[in-house]
Amino acid sequence: MASSTTLLISILLPAVFAVIVFLIPSKLRALRNAFSLIGAAIVLCLGFYLFGVKNAELNIPWLGMDINFDLRLYHLNSLIIMAVSVFLFLITIYSFVKMKEHPRAREYYTYLFLTVAFVNGAVLANNFVLMVFFWESLLVTLYGLIAIGNKEAYKTALKSFILVGFCDFCMILGIGILWYLTGSLNMPLAPLDPSSSGLAAVSCVLMLIGALGKAGVMPFHTWIPDASKDAPVTVMAFIITVIDKMLGIYLFVRISLDFFVIGMNSALSMFLMILGALTIIFALFMTFVQNNLKRMLAYQSIGEVGYMILGIGSATPVGIAGGIFYMLNQTLFKGGLFLSAGSIEHRTGTTDFDKLGGLRNKMPLTMICFVICAVACCGLWPFNGFVSEEMVMHGAKETGYIIFMIAAWIGTALTAASMLKAAHSIFWGKENKELSKIKESELLITLPIIVLALLCIVFGVHNYLPIVMFVEPIFYGYTGFLEHSGFTAHALNFFNPVAITSFVCILLGVIVYLYGWSKNSKNAASSSESVRSFPVLKNIYNLAEAKIFDIYDQGLKFLKVLGYILYYGVDRVIDFMYEKIIAGTVRVVGAILRFAHNGYYANYLAWCIGGLIIIVAVISLLS
Amino acid sequence: MTKKMNESFASLVILVPIIGAFTIPLFAKISPRMRVLAATIIAFSTSLLAMSLIPFVIGGNEFILRKPLILGFDFVLIVDALSVFMSIAASFIGALIVLYSAGYISHDENQTEYYFMVLLFIGSMMGLVYSANLIFMYIFWEITAICSWRLIGFYRLKEFVVKANKAFLITFLGAVVMLLGFILIYNQTNSFDLTTMRGTMVPGMAVLLILIGMFSKSATLPLHTWLPDAGIAPSTVTSLLHAAVLVKIGVYAYARIFCWTFQMPDTWYQVIPVIVIISSLVAAGAALVENDLKRILAYSTVSQIGYIFLGLSTMNPIGIAGAILFLLMHGLAKGGLFLCAGIVEHNTHKRDIRELGGLIKTMPITAICFLLCALSVIGIPPFGGFFSKFMVIMGAVKAGQFWIAGLGLFIAVLTAVYLFRVFNMVFLGDYSKLDIDIKEKTKSMLFVVIVLAGCSLLAGIFVNYPMKLVNVATSEITRWLTPWLAAQHY
Repeated sequence: MASSTTLLISILLPAVFAVIVFLIPSKLRALRNAFSLIGAAIVLCLGFYLFGVKNAELNIPWLGMDINFDLRLYHLNSLIIMAVSVFLFLITIYSFVKMKEHPRAREYYTYLFLTVAFVNGAVLANNFVLMVFFWESLLVTLYGLIAIGNKEAYKTALKSFILVGFCDFCMILGIGILWYLTGSLNMPLAPLDPSSSGLAAVSCVLMLIGALGKAGVMPFHTWIPDASKDAPVTVMAFIITVIDKMLGIYLFVRISLDFFVIGMNSALSMFLMILGALTIIFALFMTFVQNNLKRMLAYQSIGEVGYMILGIGSATPVGIAGGIFYMLNQTLFKGGLFLSAGSIEHRTGTTDFDKLGGLRNKMPLTMICFVICAVACCGLWPFNGFVSEEMVMHGAKETGYIIFMIAAWIGTALTAASMLKAAHSIFWGKENKELSKIKESELLITLPIIVLALLCIVFGVHNYLPIVMFVEPIFYGYTGFLEHSGFTAHALNFFNPVAITSFVCILLGVIVYLYGWSKNSKNAASSSESVRSFPVLKNIYNLAEAKIFDIYDQGLKFLKVLGYILYYGVDRVIDFMYEKIIAGTVRVVGAILRFAHNGYYANYLAWCIGGLIIIVAVISLLS
Repeated sequence: MTKKMNESFASLVILVPIIGAFTIPLFAKISPRMRVLAATIIAFSTSLLAMSLIPFVIGGNEFILRKPLILGFDFVLIVDALSVFMSIAASFIGALIVLYSAGYISHDENQTEYYFMVLLFIGSMMGLVYSANLIFMYIFWEITAICSWRLIGFYRLKEFVVKANKAFLITFLGAVVMLLGFILIYNQTNSFDLTTMRGTMVPGMAVLLILIGMFSKSATLPLHTWLPDAGIAPSTVTSLLHAAVLVKIGVYAYARIFCWTFQMPDTWYQVIPVIVIISSLVAAGAALVENDLKRILAYSTVSQIGYIFLGLSTMNPIGIAGAILFLLMHGLAKGGLFLCAGIVEHNTHKRDIRELGGLIKTMPITAICFLLCALSVIGIPPFGGFFSKFMVIMGAVKAGQFWIAGLGLFIAVLTAVYLFRVFNMVFLGDYSKLDIDIKEKTKSMLFVVIVLAGCSLLAGIFVNYPMKLVNVATSEITRWLTPWLAAQHY
């Protein structure tokens, strides 16, 4: 079938373009750009084509032992492939300007296309081994993409490699245990109930670590803020906030729908919701006190993963739908925000709040798009963020635990406060004299941002469209979901208690911001100082900034100690035995024997006769 | 190909390098260039001869070549997927190392002896791989010990000779103990011929004695410390020891003796995974602490060998297949790592990673090859090392040893940490530590490193080709196991 070979092409084609771009010498920039554009355009067409095809399968023998190169296209992964192809196209034209002067642009485009190839493979894979193959291959491109950043970026690249790699290895063990329990490595399997046995629960949790670790859940998130500082902003926008989130949530959805049965109010669902709520609170509290736009957005994207986990973890139809819709919306507004940050950085060379100010007249397009995306991000009616946030909150509400809604509301308030702080200090506020000659960025930079901002409005006002086209078909074939349909019933209805409380929380966030702003001599950049110096929060912030909560730094310390114990406690002890004890014994025995062999004939004769007597005695005794 | 041809090819794989080794002094009389040329040709033709056996064994065929001698000391050769796979891996990597030596060793003395020993080494490895008689296995085993003793102490400094003695004495001790084990088996079966003893249950004492031999050769805790010390040898030699010939002997012999032939008492299937995973963990911890480039890589080998033993001890198809694949993947990647280290050492005359830095600026090809090989050793796709490690871990899970599988993955994280520590400290960071003018090395050395790194990558992308041979080997090994596996409820 033609469509089944297209599946293979969707993996091979980006990889081929990666090789082509890599082989073009750095000097021929126009040629490289042309090929990147052609490649991105073809991938874009292919993405739309596959979204139209919807169902296709491909199965070729691969490793033997019932492990085949097995690809399957269906609604959920075709959606991801399409979304990735759209973002690839936008980011490619954005990068033409943004990455123009970058000395390692060639590598950048290569990794970009390779990443898309691996993502397509990972979501299409219908066999766990194949999925792990593509999934973990992304580690290499992630490492490469972060490492091409600034001079210190290689350290952050390693940090991301180790942390994400750790999560991936957890997932491998989880898959192994699942295989042990079900006896199959092929994907369409009867979902397992994690509460049925301890092993099943362990397997489920390990696989969740793999999925959520990729998306950047606490405590595996610490590389993301570091990457925002060191990696190119396009990498942050495309790979870390779009692709990793989509992949992580994709696997999370697969786990909770296909591989395991996670029931509402089950222990696992509670665990996930608590994890989601904690991620929201901690990440968004960190967001508010950041003084750099990119770093702020990085923390915020972690908090948003918390919302997705809260929604999908609630195990209610509307919550899961909301989580997936949130994932799509987040890629739009967070992608837009990061690209706006890139646009600002492109013109001013910085994204620090205290160095920026008054850009609203100089970069009007960037400003408008930034504000639209920021408002969508806060979840204000009628933008897309509002719809998905409401769905997540209704999902949390259906579980009957109001505490999770409160966490989400606190997150809403903090998001509003931090977005206000960002917008205020960059586009309004006091103008920096050094920036008086700034102009709006080139069209190729603003165009992708405009597209994303427009989509934010469309997905909000016309939310029926994405929900019916993208989200609802995911649940075809699962019982208990479509009876619940009418996800939109929650969606745009502003006049319900949940939505109104959210709105009040946004107002609360505005008040918190304004209070801090007026307290700190009306300086937008330092408006968070009031929260920063709040009694208990102050201590937590100080500890967080000292990297006490950084699992990577603490883990490395642990590994170092472990290494010392194993080296000096075991390895060197064994070596000491060989070098000193055994060699010493041999030396002593040798010295004694040397003493016996003193060269006198009579002496040797005495030894011989003595030995003979002993032999004769032994033989006669035995016989 | 006819049976006759296959038989002569199989004998030639052993005879060409061994006889070739003895012709090296003659070629050396002609000219030093001839010496290098002859050695390279002999090494590559060995590898080609081994590869020529693929079409025969890939169909699941095997044949046994028997030259009857007295008292059960028959000279028996077995040509099956396992022996062909191992011989290709060893001879191909060995040949590449010989080619690399042309640049590396060109300024040293005693080159004739060097090439003689290396070829003899490869030849006796071939002999060991194809032997199906325990006594001949032992003889070839000891020839490799002599070769390694001479090669480790190649630079003849007093402390180097001490380290070479240490390596020889520990492996020799192990081998002698192993011989006792062979004799115990002979007492039971009146035979040294493995092909006639498949499926025989051997006493636990014999298993213990033979395992000591294997562990000493394959540098497994507690008989491993000679391997890091052997790092004083020329880099080509360490590469040869780690990647192609020496440490692979123990694991190969394990596969041949304990997987293919004998059945062990059940407790051993529980005990061996524990020993090897501890060995792996201790070595990984040591690699994290060490600062000497070659010692770190040596500990990394000890650590990786643990995975191979682990895969073989699971006794299920996926674990055994992973372990066999591991022989090739680890050989390619570790060979590449040592040869990159050789280039670094040759250029800077330093081995302490704290004194190195920023070399990627002047030696980009070496640096990238090092990184690619390191990723393969860690087990990251799309590199070949991923599949072997993944399958070994899955095998351990399948055998119900979840903790050991988890520990195996943890060690993979450790591997990433220590190999990237080396990479960051040697190739990245501050260049100013070195004030020497450094350039890339000769073309032949770079070519070999690129080939090894490239093979590591290609072997991952096109893993289905080596897997065909591995699957045949695995099904041959597990053929007699199937009823046994059923009884074990796997």
